[in-house]
Amino acid sequence: MNAIRRAQLATVVRLELKKNFFRLCGLWVYLLAFAPAFIILMHGIFDRADSHDDDTQVLAVIFQMYYLRVGIFIGCLGIFTRLFRGDVMERSLHYYFLAPIRREVLVLGKWLAGATAASFVFGLGVMTSFLILYLHQRDGMAFLTSAQGVKHFWAYLGVTVLATLGYGSLFLLTGMLFRNPIIPAVVIGSWEAANHILPNLLKKFSVIFYLEPLCPVEMPAERGLIGLFMLPADPLPPWLAVTGLLAFCALVLAYTAYKIREVEISYGTD
Amino acid sequence: MAVYKRAYKPYTGSLTPTWSRFLILPRYAFRTVFRSKILTGYFVLCFVPFIVSLAIIYLYNNPIARTLIGMREDQNFPFSIGGRFFYYLLRIQAGMAFLLNIWVGPTLVSPDLVNNALPLYLSRPFSRTEYVIGKMSVLFMLLGGITLIPDLLLYGIQATLAGGGWFMSHLDLAGAIVASSLIWIALMSLLSLAMSAWVKWRIAASGLLFGFFVVTAGFGAIFNEVVRTYWGKVLNIDYVFSVIWQDLFNVSTVTGISRRWVGTFREQDVPVGIAWLVLAALCSAALFMLNKRLRAREVVRG
Amino acid sequence: MSTQTAIMQPPITAFAGRPESELILFENVSKFYGDVLGVNRVSLQIAPGVTSLVGPNGAGKTTLMNLMTGLIWPTRGRIRVLGSSPSDPEKFFRMVGYCTQFDSFARGVTGYEFIYDTLRLHGMSAADARRRTIDTLERVNMTEASRRKVAGYSKGMRQRIRLGQALAHHPRVLVLDEPLNGLDPMARAECMALFQSLGREGLHVILSSHILHEVDRISDQVVFIQSGYVVAEGNVHGVRDEVTDQPVQILVRSPEPNRLASKLFTQDHVTEAKITDDRRGVLVRTRDSNRFYDLLNRMVVEEGLEVEAVTPADDDVNSVYQYLIGSEGASI
Repeated sequence: MNAIRRAQLATVVRLELKKNFFRLCGLWVYLLAFAPAFIILMHGIFDRADSHDDDTQVLAVIFQMYYLRVGIFIGCLGIFTRLFRGDVMERSLHYYFLAPIRREVLVLGKWLAGATAASFVFGLGVMTSFLILYLHQRDGMAFLTSAQGVKHFWAYLGVTVLATLGYGSLFLLTGMLFRNPIIPAVVIGSWEAANHILPNLLKKFSVIFYLEPLCPVEMPAERGLIGLFMLPADPLPPWLAVTGLLAFCALVLAYTAYKIREVEISYGTD
Repeated sequence: MAVYKRAYKPYTGSLTPTWSRFLILPRYAFRTVFRSKILTGYFVLCFVPFIVSLAIIYLYNNPIARTLIGMREDQNFPFSIGGRFFYYLLRIQAGMAFLLNIWVGPTLVSPDLVNNALPLYLSRPFSRTEYVIGKMSVLFMLLGGITLIPDLLLYGIQATLAGGGWFMSHLDLAGAIVASSLIWIALMSLLSLAMSAWVKWRIAASGLLFGFFVVTAGFGAIFNEVVRTYWGKVLNIDYVFSVIWQDLFNVSTVTGISRRWVGTFREQDVPVGIAWLVLAALCSAALFMLNKRLRAREVVRG
Repeated sequence: MSTQTAIMQPPITAFAGRPESELILFENVSKFYGDVLGVNRVSLQIAPGVTSLVGPNGAGKTTLMNLMTGLIWPTRGRIRVLGSSPSDPEKFFRMVGYCTQFDSFARGVTGYEFIYDTLRLHGMSAADARRRTIDTLERVNMTEASRRKVAGYSKGMRQRIRLGQALAHHPRVLVLDEPLNGLDPMARAECMALFQSLGREGLHVILSSHILHEVDRISDQVVFIQSGYVVAEGNVHGVRDEVTDQPVQILVRSPEPNRLASKLFTQDHVTEAKITDDRRGVLVRTRDSNRFYDLLNRMVVEEGLEVEAVTPADDDVNSVYQYLIGSEGASI
């Protein structure tokens, strides 16, 4: 990439971060990211009696059931959808299209901006939850400085970043293609939620399939009626999970860069 | 310039009844809604549970038909047609109708706010209440057409096929169907309109509506996990409805998809009274939001 | 210069010896929005100078501008702007500046940031972008208000800042969609002077406007559009000459209007002769202006008729617009 394109990319990232993320209207993303930490903090202040093993399981459930499936999903939906669809709603996308910048560079710049913001906010939120949960324990500090504690720390952070990249690329595409991107997001959310009951081949077409093997603590098995329908996935080595997800992101971004060439400015009315 | 020729005269013809004027809103809304082929297709798809249930009811009451699908004539059906059947049916229909609500609901109020159409409506002899009723009626008709009407039809068909005995022993089921559907439709409509009035942009309203259900359920689950309690369940609207519906349909606690969200190690359910309180609070909040945002004036901050 | 019909388009050749790299070319371009026609079979060659697109609302002026600048893609045909195409944005948009009809901005941006950010998107360094932004703000007379948010600007200020943004990178082609909208008379006059000077510098200035007398003053070429078709294009006087189904109107100022009028009534090429209200002139409509001028010359030389002034009365954009597009004009 030549120097001018790099400068243009940096400008797009800067503009998008300024426009979308450091404003009052972005407060809800911080709420999504830090609400679990706040609840954990309150619990830690009023009740210090839980065991380390119990808390580790609790964090696993919070991370996999809330952060991966709800917090990061909804957060990325809002952040990445706004990147294109927000410009269309504000009728300002044509300023980008009238600049001497390749549309592919524009896509990459917007995605980088979204990924930076989402990784930062949710990474910070997850880490805060992690630290608060263990710090309120009597032997929490010892665990945090142990090999296992450090491994868990980096694993949670890494999975958070990968989740923002995966969901972000999907929602960047839907935000560009669909007039109401929430509808495909609901479909994607349902697909992700149903991942455990899908056959092995279909499981591979979801982000959560690549993220779960990377989580440091396995979630307790589902009981009851849903447990009967669950189909266990083929074990996925971590290197394949990371590569698979990054390849998935690259594929989706490449398709987005291809489709944006066909986009026309036609704002219409809402 | 002197006006020497008065051609203008006020209208002196007959007027439509005041009570029915709100129906103008759904008439135009439906025209817009069903312009989308995808949405129309999805609306039709929402009748699939009704058709499948119809087939089940027919098989249940027709031993000869059961033999055609390979069952023995004297073999019992795996379940009975009663409260549990209609409870599960309503759950499935409500899930499908939820997507319809997210799709259609925000298109009702948001465009009027964005395009400054509210003063145009409210400068006529047309009140805010009529406006809200008119918009809600769109969702009532759409969502009711997928849930309440088909379920009542199925109830009627089952009562006809099963005979008088079934009808007398399941008299309260009709009331349960009506009450459950109406409560759900009313709350969904109010929340949908309130959120689209609050954020103005249609897409943001859709996102807020979707996020509200999912995120509050998530917060409730975290609360339960961290505090080792079950009271976080009150934040899970889907669960709250299931508690009320189970009470209305008189079925015991069942394991459902929502269980995954409410904490895997907490068995206790929220009392029905608390569930009703939660719904009442949500309705009040929605009405408050609508009252605050639906005004005939616009404040321009320069 | 040509009055086109929608039947057959002549093949495009370089405009009066100019190479393709100096022209804006539309080659049989059509644009359909689903079933709705935007423009159909448009073939144009636009030389440097000020070219105005004139037509009623919905005629296709904005569609042509959007096609020219790559905001929409043609359904058929080819568009080249100075030998380049919008599919190569890095080269294309360095030469083209477009001030669109959309009166909208990114949320929370100031006038300064609006222009500065655009220049940074061009790949300019911060220092260069800063310098150019200040120059541009001065050029459009927005220096004082530049640090305020655009949301707080008046309509005229927003128009000027958008104009500045289109000009900031010194494009060779400037496309302006109704640039005079919302401007007070002083600002309009300044803008028109600016467009004229840019046209004289050799830029392609393409603008659309409903203010026909102003279009008349500054345009070198006019393109008349109606219902998605180009009805006529070229110099206004040339176009008027080709509208042969409408008699030419000429105003003759003379202290002897009756004498002139009585002579004119005997001429078969004169369709109308009306004495003006001040009884100091005659408005003549003739199907053959050459024969009329011959007659007038003979009357002056041989019969001593006193004539103070002779001016064409319908040789302007407004009149041609009425003939071609207005209620009396031919419709396609």
